[in-house]
Parts: sequence; C-alpha cells; structure tokens
Amino acid sequence: MNAHASNGHFIDLQKVSKRFGDNGNGTTAISNVSLSCSAGELVLLLGPSGSGKTTLLTLMAGLIEPSEGQVLLFGEEVRSYSDGELQRIRAHRLGFIFQNFLLIESLSVLENIVLVLRFAGITGSHAIEEARRLLRQFSIEHLSDKSPLKLSQGEKQRVAIARAIANGGELIIADEPTASLESSQGLQVIELLRNLAHAGNRCVVVASHDRRLVEFADCVVRLRDGAIEALEVHR
Amino acid sequence: MTNYSFRILKAQPARTAFTIGGVALCAVLMLFLLSVYRGVADGSVEYIRHNRTDLWVLQENTTNILRGSSILSTGHGNLLREISGIRSVSPLVFFLSSIRKGERGSTVYLTGYDPATGIGAPPLITQGRNIQNDGEIILDRSFAAKSGFHTGDIVTLKGDSLRVVGISVQTNMFVVQYAFVTLRQAQSLIGYPGLVSCYLVQVQEPGTVASMKERIREEIPGLEVYDHDEFLKNNIREMQSGFLPLLYVIAAIGGIVLTTILTLILSISILERRRDFAVMKTLGSTHRFLGGLVYGQGLQISLTGCGAALAFFFPMIRLIEAISPEVSTKTSLEQIAGVFLTVSVMSGVSSLLAARKLARIYTLEAFS
Repeated sequence: MNAHASNGHFIDLQKVSKRFGDNGNGTTAISNVSLSCSAGELVLLLGPSGSGKTTLLTLMAGLIEPSEGQVLLFGEEVRSYSDGELQRIRAHRLGFIFQNFLLIESLSVLENIVLVLRFAGITGSHAIEEARRLLRQFSIEHLSDKSPLKLSQGEKQRVAIARAIANGGELIIADEPTASLESSQGLQVIELLRNLAHAGNRCVVVASHDRRLVEFADCVVRLRDGAIEALEVHR
Repeated sequence: MTNYSFRILKAQPARTAFTIGGVALCAVLMLFLLSVYRGVADGSVEYIRHNRTDLWVLQENTTNILRGSSILSTGHGNLLREISGIRSVSPLVFFLSSIRKGERGSTVYLTGYDPATGIGAPPLITQGRNIQNDGEIILDRSFAAKSGFHTGDIVTLKGDSLRVVGISVQTNMFVVQYAFVTLRQAQSLIGYPGLVSCYLVQVQEPGTVASMKERIREEIPGLEVYDHDEFLKNNIREMQSGFLPLLYVIAAIGGIVLTTILTLILSISILERRRDFAVMKTLGSTHRFLGGLVYGQGLQISLTGCGAALAFFFPMIRLIEAISPEVSTKTSLEQIAGVFLTVSVMSGVSSLLAARKLARIYTLEAFS
C-alpha cells in the first residue's frame, strides 16, 4: 500500500461514470471520465455548480465507488480495498481540505491537528510537537489554544491546510478551498497549495469554480454536466 | 479520547448538567431502594436473629412470624417441658394491636416475653431500659418518633395504661414496628391468659437439635418445629416475597429511565455533531475511535452523575428519616459499588445503542 502506482500515478480514472439512484430515475453525476494525477502536480477541477466537481473529487479519494469504469488509487482498484484499508489510506496517505474548512469547533486549533496525527498513529508528546511544528510552518502557532470559532476565515483556512498535510499524506484533496475567502486570501491559499505540490512532491487536487486559479494549476480539468469539457496541461 | 469526549460535553453545559442530574436522580433512586431494602430486611428479621435459640416451635403449617399466625396454649409448653433432653422452654406472644395516646392511635406488632429469662427481648435498647414488670412497654424508635412517644409517656393499649420505659432499634418492619410488653401483660391484653404464639426451645446437648426436632413432632401432634437457621430463612423469604418484587419493579424503572435518558442525549449529541463525525471519518478515524468518543461521553456523564448522587444521597436520607421515621435505611459500601457498577453498565449499553447511529454517518456528508 505504501508503494506508488507502477505507472507513477496516485490517481488513475479509467472511463469512470457515477450515477445516483436507480437506473430508471437515476441522475448521472459523472460521465465517462478518464484522468490521472501524479506527485508534484496541482490538478484543478474547474466547473460551475452542479458540474460534478465534488463527486469526481470523492471518487478520486475513494470515498465512493464508480458505477462504471475503474478508479485506481495508489495503483490499486478502489473496489479491491477493504473498508479498513481505505480507512488506513485516508489516515496515512490522504489529506482533506473541506469547503468552509470544517474544523472541529469543540477542539482547539492544536487539538484539530493532533487529532489527525492520532488517526495516523502518532500520539502523545510526539503528536503535540509535530502539530506545533506545522502551526509554526504556517505562521499560526500563536493560535494553538484558540477555538476555531475565534479565528478569521484566512486563519481557519491555514489551520485546515496544516491539518490536511499533518499525516504526511502524498495526496491532498481540496474542495472549494478558496470559496469562503477574500480574493487576496484565496490567491495566497492557492499559492500555498501549489507549493505543497511542487516543493512537497505531493499531488494536490482542487475542485473550484474560481477561474482565477487556472494560472496556478499544472493541469486544468474543465467539467460540464459531469463530463470533461476540456483538459489543459500547463506543465 | 477522554479529552475530546469532555470537550464535546463542555460545549453543551446546560444539556450536560441536565443529563448528569437525570443520572444522579436514577442513582439516588437505586441507592435509596437498596438502603430501604437493607433497612427493612434487617429490621424484619433482626429480632429473630438476635433471639438465637435451638428450636422454634409453632402451630402446624406456620412457617414464619412476619405474616403467619400461630396459636398454641400454655399446655403445649408443659408437654414440651416433659420431654427429656430439653433445657428450657420460653413462650412468646405476638399480635397486632393499636396503641393510643390521647386521640392518636397507631398499630404495633406487640410482642410478649418473660423478662425474667430475657428470651424474646428486643435486640437493642437505645434509650431507657428493658421491661421488668407488667404495665411497662418498649417502643421501636421509628414508631416512637413517628407517633410522638417518649420514655416516661403513658400510652393506652386495649384500655390498659402502660408506661414507655425504653426505645428499641432493629425492630422496624417498615409497614409495622415491634413493641414489647411482659408475657403476662400480652396474654391479659389479648384476653386469653393461656394463649401462646410460639415457644423458643433450648436443648441440653447441642448435638441433639436435629433428633429433638423429630422427637417433638412425634410426641406432640399439631406442631411445627424449626431449627434457628431454618426459621430465620423462612422469615427472610417471607419478607423478600412481599418486598422484593416491588423493589425490582422500581429498580427496573430506574434503570430503564437511566438508559433512555443517556441513549437519547448521546444520540442527540451524535446527530448534532454528525458533520464532525463525518469529517473525522473522512480524515481516517476508525469506528473504534468514534465509538470511544460516544462511550467516553456516557462514562463521564455516569461517573459525574454517581458523584453527584453520592453527595446528595446521605443528606437526603437524613431528611427522609426525619420526616418519615418509619423509613429505616441501611447503606453499605457494597451497595454503593453495586449501584455505581450498574450505572456504568447502563452507560455502556446506552453508548452502544447511541453509537449505532455512527454507522449511518457517511464521509460524503463532509462534502455536502
């Protein structure tokens, strides 16, 4: 499970479709999508609301199974993983940034990071030290003991990014990471994500409707009605 | 994990306090029932336990003195004394009677014994002295407190005036209390001087109790003979059959209420925080960790509830005994430990029931 895919792709989608509901009354959310993402890449899934970005994102993360086609996650077919294996992949190899950040509000900033480290098997003083190091890296160590409720939107997003990379995962999944941010903050965040991809040799997949992010992406997947309208490779 | 559970509870202080209060009340109810049970159990049979003898002789088909009536005569006593190998034969009289003081009247379980031998006397006198002569009476402490009787008071019993000379304890059967007079006084009050309820028999040779039991049965027809332990067990069984079913029902209701409150609160907590749980699942949490969060909340509520119950219980008992002296309680460490264990188990059951909701929380909910 720790080895990269033999072809070097973290994610490999082959003619993937996803339908919700039964065949008669069902809705096709994703239609015949083929796509691959590798280390060092920032992949942008761009499209308007309802274009299938989030569904594609959850398919890529192995959170749902395709109705047709194959999703290879770290070289293995998602369907071949057991629930326990998928949980361990999420705990050790994936990082998530949610729309509206979704920090656990009953925990402090530090505890939000420590929680993810705990899921990855790092506990006690090691987890606290590592969490503090991450907060320092994002220049938000002074927020350690604060409740997420007391943070600005920009601060929340930094904490969310720190949480996403806390487990050292190679694949970061970000759902509308700039949606709740002011324009300048949004650009700072996408720069940060690009840096994670390039300097950290991670694969970062971002779903967004924000066209300004295009210039930061290595690969832009334009979606419309669940299908790829255009695929642009910038690097 | 405990820390996270605590934070979740802390985020809803009013609800958490309400739940802890509910758990504490249930624990207090259980503790109170157990204490009353122990108090009644001791009060009901302590008199028999205290008056240890070799054999109890009663009328045929009578198994106990709590809810059985035995009518014998002084003639039976004479026949018993004629059997060789018997050292002593002590008659006792029991009957329900109403004691009056002015306008007030209360029922007691009147016990007549011979003060010369002291056999059949109350287990413990806490105030005053034992009876020495006719015209004297000893009252149970709870009865005296409830009815406003004190040593030195004159009470009326079937038209006879008796002076209260002592106050006894361990003589409270909850629904009725013992009172003690001389055997002769009791027989006079009942109107049949030759009437006896039972005889306490002591044998000359300790090893002959079993054979003497059979011999009495053979030689004097119409009698029931029990050794002390057997008779004590009969009375305990009789007391339990009247009291335990009620206790079980109320304790079961307490347990159900406790489990329901906890399950409800934990389930609401899960539903309100389902987004948090979905996020944790997405971030790689195990089912065990999430279940542990729910269990941790249940356990913390339960333990705090038990602590609150303990703090509240003893002052409450003192208050109840002051208001209703006939409520006699006895609390032991084992009872407290038992209640705490029960509450912890109920909390575990509640957590399991509530945690089933976790299975219906999906990672996709973090993306909606």
